Amino acid sequence: MNQWIAIGALGVMGVGIPIAMMVVSALLRPSVSEQGKTVVYESGEVPTGTAHVQFNIQYYMVALLFLVFDVETVLIFPWTLIYRSALEQGATLGQVLAPMLVFIGVLVVGLGWAWRNGAVEWIKSPRASRRKTERQS
Amino acid sequence: MTPLQTQLPTWTAVAPTLLLGLTALVLLLVDSIDPDSTRPGALAGIATLGSLATLAVAGWFLLAGTGQTGSGGAIELYGGSLVVDGLSLFFTVVVASVVAMVSLASYDYLRDRTYQAEFYSLVLLAATGMSLMGSSGSLATVFISLELASLPSYALVAFLKDNRGSVEAGLKYFLVGAVSSAVLTFGISLVYAATGSLLLADVASAVGSAGDLVGIAGVGIVMIAGGFAFKTASVPFHFWAPEAYEGAPAPISAFLSSASKAAGFAVAFRVFAVGFPLDAVVPMGIDWSLLFAILAVVTMTLGNFAAATQENVKRMLAYSSVGHAGYALIGLAALSGGGPNGNVMGASMAHLLVYGFMNTGAFLFIAMVEHWEVGRTFEDYNGLATRAPAACLAMTVFMFSLAGLPPFGGFLSKYALFYEAIQGGFWWLAAVGAINSALSLFYYSRVVKAMWIEDPTGEFDLGATPVGLYAAVMVAAVGTLLLLPAFGPVVETAQSAATALFA
Amino acid sequence: MVPVQWYLLLATAVFCIGLFGILTRKNALLFLMSVELMLNAANINLVAFSAYWGNITGQTFSLFTMALAAAEVAVGIGIILVLYRNFDDVDVTLAKGMRW
Repeated sequence: MNQWIAIGALGVMGVGIPIAMMVVSALLRPSVSEQGKTVVYESGEVPTGTAHVQFNIQYYMVALLFLVFDVETVLIFPWTLIYRSALEQGATLGQVLAPMLVFIGVLVVGLGWAWRNGAVEWIKSPRASRRKTERQS
Repeated sequence: MTPLQTQLPTWTAVAPTLLLGLTALVLLLVDSIDPDSTRPGALAGIATLGSLATLAVAGWFLLAGTGQTGSGGAIELYGGSLVVDGLSLFFTVVVASVVAMVSLASYDYLRDRTYQAEFYSLVLLAATGMSLMGSSGSLATVFISLELASLPSYALVAFLKDNRGSVEAGLKYFLVGAVSSAVLTFGISLVYAATGSLLLADVASAVGSAGDLVGIAGVGIVMIAGGFAFKTASVPFHFWAPEAYEGAPAPISAFLSSASKAAGFAVAFRVFAVGFPLDAVVPMGIDWSLLFAILAVVTMTLGNFAAATQENVKRMLAYSSVGHAGYALIGLAALSGGGPNGNVMGASMAHLLVYGFMNTGAFLFIAMVEHWEVGRTFEDYNGLATRAPAACLAMTVFMFSLAGLPPFGGFLSKYALFYEAIQGGFWWLAAVGAINSALSLFYYSRVVKAMWIEDPTGEFDLGATPVGLYAAVMVAAVGTLLLLPAFGPVVETAQSAATALFA
Repeated sequence: MVPVQWYLLLATAVFCIGLFGILTRKNALLFLMSVELMLNAANINLVAFSAYWGNITGQTFSLFTMALAAAEVAVGIGIILVLYRNFDDVDVTLAKGMRW
């Protein structure tokens, strides 16, 4: 006996139980064919259109800004790890804070530029808003 | 002279790099204040002033001896991740002078285009990366600065976003760049695997005792060399260069082929000379100088032969830029354990400085021709000298200097490079270089012949004189000429900076 | 503990998958994904050998690699968007107006 047998048994159970449940329920349940069952489930909303639509290009700008700032938090991680021990070892608050403030400051300049240049504004296309009013009326 | 580093706090040693970055941020801020109005003069002025200030500070540091052997050796910051010494200041001077010329010239080139502030700030951000590349003392900084230089460059090449050529060039540059940066990163991770450190000095001391992992270290070093080959447009990652230089806006071609290439060599010189010293890695069977010797021969031969067959002047210059990467590679190839390595590397650095002026000038002349909408082939240049003699005279200086003819700066730098290669015992590298230079005279002189001797095929309608472009071309020409008498001190500075790497 | 050579093998395998993707795919987005694979192969190495050598240099560097990979993708998608606008496709082999 070695410990791999236990892992193998776990694997067999993990695959076997779901398959068994699906087989048993397929045997037991009555077959009622109804259209509503094949419709895409969209959290209770009535789905409109297909899933293969082109997304508005402006999602890209938002996603881009999100991506940049999301990933920059990764670079703050190492700094938070050494923050406390650096203070305990006698570094002044300014010495510890200043590099991160400069880093954030550079990011803020970038964000400010993006904001002023309209990267975060949602420009409504006339066609889309016309369609929306047509649907509502 | 009193050493500068005793009077100023040590962090000021990176002031040139910081100035470039600050200028980029100022440009973004100016654009944020009022995004709707374009102020071409103000934007070009800020960019040019910022790069001139960088040039002044870097030149002052270089003359005052900051970080050089005479005044206490290299200045190390952030635990050795950043190193400021002769080499980094020298290449900051190269990058800053190219940026100054390019931003001056872009004033006219960009006149009727949108997104001007973005253009200048991307140029300056890339320049920040390039000057950081020269000062990176750890493989982590190498990677980050290389990416900081590359990412804005991709965007800049594709800057004319309605122009198919520009977009195609940007795409190809990006694709090759992305692959080569992935290769570089993997190489760095392998070197880390073998040595357990990213600091160049620690890598150097650990690489000799890599033991079982010597094969991994070897593969890592080759992959890092591949990453640098992309940045310097050398074989085997050279094939983006003709496309990117041809499709990009001409000032960007000038910027990439001069500053970006010089920065690539700066980081390659430091990483290979400091991180993988020959007397430590050659006994293990990793002879990278032999690798670079082969690459140098292939690169210069391929670049020059391909340039000779071109009909498009900009593409010819692009291939000649590949050829010049081959000459500069001699600085990494003609090395041997314990030889006078600093001299040949210093000669290569000096060649890159001269190349920075003459090649930027040549591409800016192309920018001027594009501005006049004259056409791109050699035939279109026929008789251009009858209409624009001053600019054509400057172009003649660039062409003959690039070919390495005697009364120009390019002659001395090439002569010094080949002479030092022979002194190091690599006469065959010098011979191949000399043969290639002779070949290059053929296609460079075609431009000169077209401009001065051929009769114009039609009337030129040149329109108003673009002041900024003209001034930039003239500055480059004067620089190329001035580097002839000034070559002695330049090559001495470069050689002492390079010798410090091997100490 | 898993021997450190296995990580090297895994990283090399991932890197080669990425390289294979780059050489065979024509879609620019799949190309980007392949580059991500290659960068993450380097990350596997860095993190594994960070544990092997007992310093955190490799781990910290892998964070930088991730951040830069994201930045690269951002620039890359921008270029792919203008490619789409000019050529109406994201096929990288379509853009061949200039000779190689």
